[in-house]
Amino acid sequence: MKDPLIDRQLPLFIPHSSISTAVNKTGSWRFFHPKYEEKTAPCSAACPVGQDIPRIEMLASRGQLKDAWQTILDENPLPAVCGRVCFHPCESACNRDSMDDPISIHHLERFLGDAAITGKIKADLDPRPSTGKKVAIIGTGPAGLAAAYFVARLGYGCDVFEAASEPGGLLRWGIPAYRLPRDILEHEIARIENAGVRIHCKFSVNGRLLENLKKDYDGLFVGCGYARSFMLNIEGEEFASDGLDFLNRLGVGEKISYFGTAAIIGGGNTAIDVARSLGRIGAAPLIVYRRRIQDMPAFEPEVAMAAEEGVRIMELVAPIRIRETAGDSFSSLPGYELTLQKMKVSKKEISGRARVIPDGDETETIAVQNIFVAIGAVAEDLWQFPDSEEAKSLRLSHCHFFDQKIPLIYGGDLASPVKSVTDAIASGKQAAMALDTYFEHGTNAIEERLAGCRVGAGPALSMDVYLGKDRKNRTAHIVNYDEIVSDYFQSAARNVPSTLDAGQRIRSFTEIESTLDKNAAKEEAGRCFNCGICASCDYCRLYCPEMAVMVENARRSINMDFCKGCGVCATECPRNAMALEEEII
Amino acid sequence: MKKVLEGSHAVSEAARLAKVQVIAAYPITPQTHIVEALSQYCSDGTLKARFINVESEHSAMAAVIGAASGGARAFTASSSHGLAYMHELLHWASAARLPIVMAEVNRALGPGWNIWTDQTDSLAQRDTGWIQLYCEDGQEVLDTTLQAFRLAEAVNLPVMVVLDAFYLSHTFEPIDVPDQETVDRFLPPPSPRIRMDTADPCAVNQLVTPAAYMEMRYNTQLAMEEAQRRLVLIEKEFETIFNRTHGLVEAIQCEDAEIIMVTTGTVTGTCRQVLADLRSQGVKVGLFKLKLFRPFPADLICRHLKSAPKIAVIDRNISFGAGGIFAQEIRAALCNQNPHPQVFGYVAGLGGRDITPDTLVEIYNHTKNNPAPAEETIWIGLNQETVESWNN
Repeated sequence: MKDPLIDRQLPLFIPHSSISTAVNKTGSWRFFHPKYEEKTAPCSAACPVGQDIPRIEMLASRGQLKDAWQTILDENPLPAVCGRVCFHPCESACNRDSMDDPISIHHLERFLGDAAITGKIKADLDPRPSTGKKVAIIGTGPAGLAAAYFVARLGYGCDVFEAASEPGGLLRWGIPAYRLPRDILEHEIARIENAGVRIHCKFSVNGRLLENLKKDYDGLFVGCGYARSFMLNIEGEEFASDGLDFLNRLGVGEKISYFGTAAIIGGGNTAIDVARSLGRIGAAPLIVYRRRIQDMPAFEPEVAMAAEEGVRIMELVAPIRIRETAGDSFSSLPGYELTLQKMKVSKKEISGRARVIPDGDETETIAVQNIFVAIGAVAEDLWQFPDSEEAKSLRLSHCHFFDQKIPLIYGGDLASPVKSVTDAIASGKQAAMALDTYFEHGTNAIEERLAGCRVGAGPALSMDVYLGKDRKNRTAHIVNYDEIVSDYFQSAARNVPSTLDAGQRIRSFTEIESTLDKNAAKEEAGRCFNCGICASCDYCRLYCPEMAVMVENARRSINMDFCKGCGVCATECPRNAMALEEEII
Repeated sequence: MKKVLEGSHAVSEAARLAKVQVIAAYPITPQTHIVEALSQYCSDGTLKARFINVESEHSAMAAVIGAASGGARAFTASSSHGLAYMHELLHWASAARLPIVMAEVNRALGPGWNIWTDQTDSLAQRDTGWIQLYCEDGQEVLDTTLQAFRLAEAVNLPVMVVLDAFYLSHTFEPIDVPDQETVDRFLPPPSPRIRMDTADPCAVNQLVTPAAYMEMRYNTQLAMEEAQRRLVLIEKEFETIFNRTHGLVEAIQCEDAEIIMVTTGTVTGTCRQVLADLRSQGVKVGLFKLKLFRPFPADLICRHLKSAPKIAVIDRNISFGAGGIFAQEIRAALCNQNPHPQVFGYVAGLGGRDITPDTLVEIYNHTKNNPAPAEETIWIGLNQETVESWNN
């Protein structure tokens, strides 16, 4: 017996609406609002040229290799060179180190640089229209090349003068081929020339020519480096060879060989390069250094590699005398007696390094077959700074600017506080910005204009920011590891390319490190947190309870009609590319 | 067909025969056997339902709320802490008017950690807007579960079928399990009034201002009141098909009784024997079984209890600071009757302590020997040695 009353419908009064919930403007509840606020990655701030590393790795991880490479070129014309020789302070600053290991930033830079060379990729040049002005650049080392590349991009005619027979400066004559193969350098220079830079080799600038250049050009950049080596000022100095000269001779392809012990006096990168090169041509290198090994200004990995290759280091000894010894053909080789004063560490420190003083009268004499001096160098007299009373001058982080008849800028080792290839490039870029600002707004505008282009709070400058591109919107705040939502990232081993072992290395000048393969590079780039920049991961949109995050043309924005200010998006952003701000009522 | 089944499986069989479409549950003793059997049915294809594994009872209730919002016939089961964990969503399910059915096995709440029977867990959910039906034996469990789907869908309210831990959930009895065809005649497939559909987008259960909230609550109250009338009709139809009925309440020999014992759950079965024994001695005692607790059948209570001089209500639960919950409600239902009986409230059998025929005789005697209750709540079977030791 069915009773129809059983299932008779009751009045049902529940909240129900067929119109959109969009009428409920939850934005009116808001006390805080989120915003997309890209910040500065610690690697970028640590990079002397301020490369946009988080973006480079993001593009590389997606396989957009050309875009990644172009992003390097925006700030640095020499990726394949820097990927090899830069001391990569970026990696020391990398937040990933707090999780497992830093990103192999320099290996990735090299991979991108090499991929462009082997793939014969042409850079998309986007120079500003010609200004009608032209700039002369003296020296084709990293500073001169960078200055030329950037002034050309800013719309200036550009001639570069090089005294040597081929361009490259220190890159060609100072860095051994096992660290920087010549063909790589030539590809990079060729690309800079293709960008509209004219290089004139065997053009040695003397005082008279310099005056002519000042007449013919609207601006001048000097990046000649330190070409004149320091002297030992001890008895028998004439028996010692100049380390830089030795590297030059190797660089031009001279076939040289040595045997027996070769003493190298000095503790900088040049001393290490000389020692490691000597080991490759038959000598037994022995570095003689007046301070302790930990005080050596040479980059630590280079010192370690030298030791692996059999380079011996005597620390706390200073040369005081060299005497020629005839030797006899039976018991000893002809050569020199090198007398060394023993040193000891004084309690006082000078700028972080231990000060050393003679340890009484104690000396030691060693027998060596050759002696090389690599204790630093200075600029030629011609490149001493003009008397600043005669010209208005401006001290920039990597350059020295003089307002004479025309603007005259000294860069590279002549002006950089840190003597490195990448700092030299930074000075070339800074000079280009300073010249351009000078021509547009005069000397007084330079400091403020350049300060606005800083990456983070550090000295590195960004050409992208200078040109008013998107990067200018990033804040100077440097993202730290605590601001990364590490739950979104999994631990993964750092990818490094294979290297020759010490036994293979000392037999030739073959390059020691190889380039990452494509898969390893993509994987390595994928390890990057992309600190502070939006990587389009979309977690902000997925987690928004009001569906207030909108994406249009791959750009995200927040619909303030509905954002109730809960902050979930900003809190979940894995890489701190968002911020939460109190609502001003 | 008669089968020997434990009480838990009487629920599982009913859910299978009801052709539930979505089950979401989280295991907890003594409920686990119910969903264990159902998960087996889902995996072997006996039951074509979606079994959703969840990480908590809160999520289990959320999942069946979602399923019911989509128009599915949804089922879950829980106990004790699991039920307590569902609490806020129990309110949601009823206010959203979703016809969900849940089997709730009465189990004590900790601490002290205790898995045995006690009604405080389900009674703590008394005000959530769920219909509550307390069952006496396995057959009633099966039949009530089938009726529960019909009732829930008729009034758009969720139903809790309540059974005692172990005494019922784990006790095997011969139970008549009807065939599918017969059940289908009683319980057709659902024709849901609430059915969210992406093809016809709408918003439900959004903000309701004071201007409409009260009417919404009044509408639910009307549905609750209607549920009692519908259950009567459903029982009638059930009887015509299955030849059985259990009633919303059951009054046994109450007409001439001087004392009426009021029971819920399995204690009723024990009390039936005590009633027979006392009646055989010429004692005028009656038994009133309360099955429907929400909606509260005040009219039936008044009709059957008002003429007796004394009522003895047995509560296997405690509302601290007030007393047994059934006693309070029955007292309240009778208070406007003139004259009205003396209502004795007894708390007994908490945390699974046995309520034996002797316990019930002790309650009868206490009621008989006192003209009026000396206190609101009389605790039966307390270990006096323990209690007195606290005073030393």
